[in-house]
Amino acid sequence: MKLLTNIASVATVLSRWTIMVALLSFAADIAWAQQNRVLVPSGSFHSVMPEVEGEAVKVNTFYLDVTAVTNEKFEKFLDQNKNWQPNEVPAVFTNKGYLKHWKEEGQRPDYEDVGRERPVTNVSWFAANAYCQWAGGRLPTLNEWEYSAQLMDFDSSTEINEFTTKLVSWYSSVDTKNIGEVGSTGIKTRVGVKDQFGLIMEWVEDFKPPVADELSLDCGTVGRMQQLGNAYSYAASIRYITRMSYNPRSSTSMIGFRCAYDDIDSKFKLEEEEL
Amino acid sequence: MKMISIILLSLFLVTSLNAQHHHAADGELGAGKISAEHSLYHLDAQWTNHRDETVKLSDFRGSPVIVVMFYGNCMEVCPILIQDAWRLYSSVDESVRGDVNVLAVSFDTENDTPEVLNNYAKYEQLDIPGWHFMISKNATVRSLAMMLGVQYSKKSDGHFAHSNLVTVLDKEGKIAIRMEGLNQPMGEAAAVINSILMRK
Repeated sequence: MKLLTNIASVATVLSRWTIMVALLSFAADIAWAQQNRVLVPSGSFHSVMPEVEGEAVKVNTFYLDVTAVTNEKFEKFLDQNKNWQPNEVPAVFTNKGYLKHWKEEGQRPDYEDVGRERPVTNVSWFAANAYCQWAGGRLPTLNEWEYSAQLMDFDSSTEINEFTTKLVSWYSSVDTKNIGEVGSTGIKTRVGVKDQFGLIMEWVEDFKPPVADELSLDCGTVGRMQQLGNAYSYAASIRYITRMSYNPRSSTSMIGFRCAYDDIDSKFKLEEEEL
Repeated sequence: MKMISIILLSLFLVTSLNAQHHHAADGELGAGKISAEHSLYHLDAQWTNHRDETVKLSDFRGSPVIVVMFYGNCMEVCPILIQDAWRLYSSVDESVRGDVNVLAVSFDTENDTPEVLNNYAKYEQLDIPGWHFMISKNATVRSLAMMLGVQYSKKSDGHFAHSNLVTVLDKEGKIAIRMEGLNQPMGEAAAVINSILMRK
């Protein structure tokens, strides 16, 4: 009887210990998550899309990753989701470009070559969508992403001009072989979201809105988009038009992604319920 | 400035077109493998139908499927779209019609609960065997739309702008034929379904 009690108490201690460890790593994960996403407060913005000219687009509060998803994080996702590894993923979800810059054999990134902290690129919309769900979030909507990008403060018109010039020079000389690490652009919104300009193109949930079919990508359209005339409209018009040229299986060296969330700790809430 | 943007734009488009062109060289895999790889049944997520049952797309493997995407609050266009699906369904040979499934998938993840969809099915007099009005979480609905080539976005008034498309899937879940636009003739698509059903 005493023995049984002992075993029971040992078991209790053990299970308590397991829970403690679980809780500790849980807390660490939450801390990690909270460092990596920030609250983007609700507001509205003017889209460069010609059909919504004049009407501000409202966006609700959401959380957004501070930086784009890195090669290292994407590898972690592949470790836990083998069906998204390059040799496993069916053609319905990606084209041949998927992760082609990673080492061919072994399905592993060669970090010396691609960099741990560089944004993952050559990922299709489907892969980005799967990653964000795994991370407890979702892809930001087109409006959320564009709204966040415009939350910058400029002290003077000189600063605005400098910013615009910098963007033009980036868009005219994108070197996809030498993409910088996340956070390296020095461009940051007032809530702390980094690199929405100047690093890569990013997937959004609805990258090809229904209006895409009606827009012809001619000079007139591009010109109209830029008539908005603010610091962002040039870059935004290039983004809208480039995005519309993608299909969801496109995996090019220019496109990566970041995730959005409705709660600060959505993933961890879910895991807590499962425990 | 305009000139620069046109040049840059061409540059960007060339990059992405190259990517698509690159894809044309996919032919290294055997035809059978490619064919299975393009099945929509790779979308391995759960849906709820208007009978409040949990289903997966791959549950419909083995018979032709008509897919249409709509939303319940859509009073003008969507009833026509659903009627289009009905016209196609009812043009299939009556003797084999029972082997065809119709999936009417809603974009409106906020409002279209299984109960709402059930009322919708009853209202349209389509609460019949083989017809499934379905909903899932947003990321899953969006994924299916991406696979079908259906574009949609929610407007600020709660309605959706969306493309009108009826798609037929073969027994393996691959796209057999797509009909874009409302009120399209359904003869060709019905023939495709009949021939899928003939194949053993």
